[in-house]
Amino acid sequence: MGMGLVALMGAAATVAGCSEDLESDIGSQSNPNSQVQLAAQVGYPHRIFNKAISGEPPSNAMYCAVGAGVAMVLIQSMSASPLLAIAVGAFVAALLNGVFSTTSYMGRNASQTRFNQYVYLDVLRNHILGIMGHAYITTFCIVGLSYVMWNQDLINHPFPFPVIAMIWGLAVGAIGSSTGDVHYGAEREFQDFKFGAGLNAADSGNITRYAEAGIRSSMDNAWFCSKFGGPATGIAFGMVVFLDNWRSTAFSGWISVAVGTAIVILLILYNRQIEIYARKKYGPYPEYSGDIEA
Amino acid sequence: MTDITVGLMLTDNLPSIIGIILGGICIAVGVHFVPVGGAPAAMAQATGIGTGTVQLAAGSGLTGLLAAGYMYMTLSTLPSGVIVEPGISQIILICATGAVGAMIMISVTMLVGNWVYIYGVGVPPASAKKDYDPITGDSQAPYVAAGTVGQGMPTVCFVSGAMGGFLGGLGGSLIYCMLMWVNGDPAISSIFAIGVFLVNAVLPSYNIQGTIEGFHDPKFKRVPKAILACFIASLLCGIIAVMIPGAAMIGGA
Repeated sequence: MGMGLVALMGAAATVAGCSEDLESDIGSQSNPNSQVQLAAQVGYPHRIFNKAISGEPPSNAMYCAVGAGVAMVLIQSMSASPLLAIAVGAFVAALLNGVFSTTSYMGRNASQTRFNQYVYLDVLRNHILGIMGHAYITTFCIVGLSYVMWNQDLINHPFPFPVIAMIWGLAVGAIGSSTGDVHYGAEREFQDFKFGAGLNAADSGNITRYAEAGIRSSMDNAWFCSKFGGPATGIAFGMVVFLDNWRSTAFSGWISVAVGTAIVILLILYNRQIEIYARKKYGPYPEYSGDIEA
Repeated sequence: MTDITVGLMLTDNLPSIIGIILGGICIAVGVHFVPVGGAPAAMAQATGIGTGTVQLAAGSGLTGLLAAGYMYMTLSTLPSGVIVEPGISQIILICATGAVGAMIMISVTMLVGNWVYIYGVGVPPASAKKDYDPITGDSQAPYVAAGTVGQGMPTVCFVSGAMGGFLGGLGGSLIYCMLMWVNGDPAISSIFAIGVFLVNAVLPSYNIQGTIEGFHDPKFKRVPKAILACFIASLLCGIIAVMIPGAAMIGGA
C-alpha cells in the first residue's frame, strides 16, 4: 500500500467528515436535536429542520453499509465500473436518507402542533435536497475509501466491503457527533448568549430563532457551521483514517504499535497545551463564588 | 447435531470462549474510562465528549478492529501464500494494534472536540466532579460555567479516554482473534465481533446512565457490576459464537 493511497484515503475522509457534520447540522440530528425538540415545548416555535432518525453513528453506518452493499452487487454481478457502482450506491443511500428525513421531520413536527410548532412544507422542500446532497457526498467518500481498503489489488482488507463501510460510517458519525455538533449545539443554537458564557441549564430550549436577516433556517446554520465545525470534523476523521493507515503502511509489527502510542502521547501533550492556553486566555468565571483559587 | 457434538465443540473451543469473555470484560471496563457527556456535552453543559456511550465506544473500538483484522491477515499469511493460525505472541501483537488504533481514534476525537470547545464555543475545559485535576493539579471549579456541570475534556478526562480506547480496542481485537480461531472466516468473525462488542458496550451504559467523566468519576466505582453482567453476557455470546459459526464451518446445523 503506497503513501499516495493513504493520502487519498485521508483526503476522502476529510471531505466525508465535513459533509457528515453539515448534513447533521442542516437536519439538527443527534444531540443538538434535543434543544430543537425542546424549543417549541418551552414556548419558542421555530422554522429549524428537526430530524432525529437516530444517533449519527448508527444512521451513517446504515447509509454507508447500504451504499457499499449496492456497489458490491453492481461490481460483482454486473461487472460495473467501481466508480459508477459507488456513485449509484451513494445515490441509493441518499434516497434512503431522504425518506428517513422526511418522515422524521413530519412526524416530529406533527406531534408538536399543540405547542404551535407546525409542519412547514416549504422548510421540508428547501432543506431535504441539501440534506440528501450532503449525505450523498459522505456516503460516496466513505464507500470509496472502503473500496480502496477492500480491493484485492490495493489494500486487500479481509473484512467484507459493506462491513468496512459500516465501521467507517460508525466512526464518522461518532466523530461528527463529538466534534462538529458541539459548534452547532453549543454556539450556533445559542448565539443570543454571550460568547464563552456557557449554557446555563435553565436556558435550555431558548434557541436563537432569528437570523442575520429574517427568520433563521437550517441552511443558515449550515453556512455558519461550515466555517469551523464542519471542517474541524473533516480534519478529525481525516486524521483518524490517515494516522491509523500511515502507521500500518510506513511501519510494521511492534514498531507500528510504538509509533501509534507515540502519536497518542503527542496528542495528550498537545491537548494539555491548548488547555493551558484556554485557562489563561479566558480565566475563571466571575460568577464563581467558591473558595477554590483559580 | 447431537448433544455430544455440541459438548465436544464447546470443550474444543474453551480457550476461545475464555478469550471472548476476557475481551468482553475489557470492553465493559473500557466504556467506563471514556469521558462521555452525552447530549448535555454537545451544548457544553457537561464535561466529556458530546455523544453517547455506546456510539463512542463502538466508533473507537471498531476502528481498532479494522486495524487488527488487517494485522491478523498479514501475520497469518506466510510469504509463500500459505495461511497459518497465529500463535499467542502474534495474537498479542494483533490486540496491541487494535488497541492503539482505537486510542488514536478516540484521542483525535477528544482533541478536535477540545478545539471546538475552546476556539468555537469559548469555554475552557473543566471537570465538575473534582475540585482539582488529579493529573495536573489544576483547579477546576472556578472554570466551570454557571448552571453547567463542566465542559470539554481536561487532561484527566483525555488520559482516561485514551485508556478507555485502549481497552475497547484490545477487547474487540481479542474477540475477533478468538472467533478467527473458531471458524477462520474474516467475514463471519468480523460481524460476530461487532455484535459481541455492542453487547458489551451497551450493558455498562446502564451503569453510566448518560454521562461519566472517566476513572475519577464516582460512577466508576460501579465497574464490578458491569464486569459481572458482561461476564455472563460474554459467556452466552461466546457459546453462541462458537456454536453457530463453528457449526457452519464443519457443515453441521
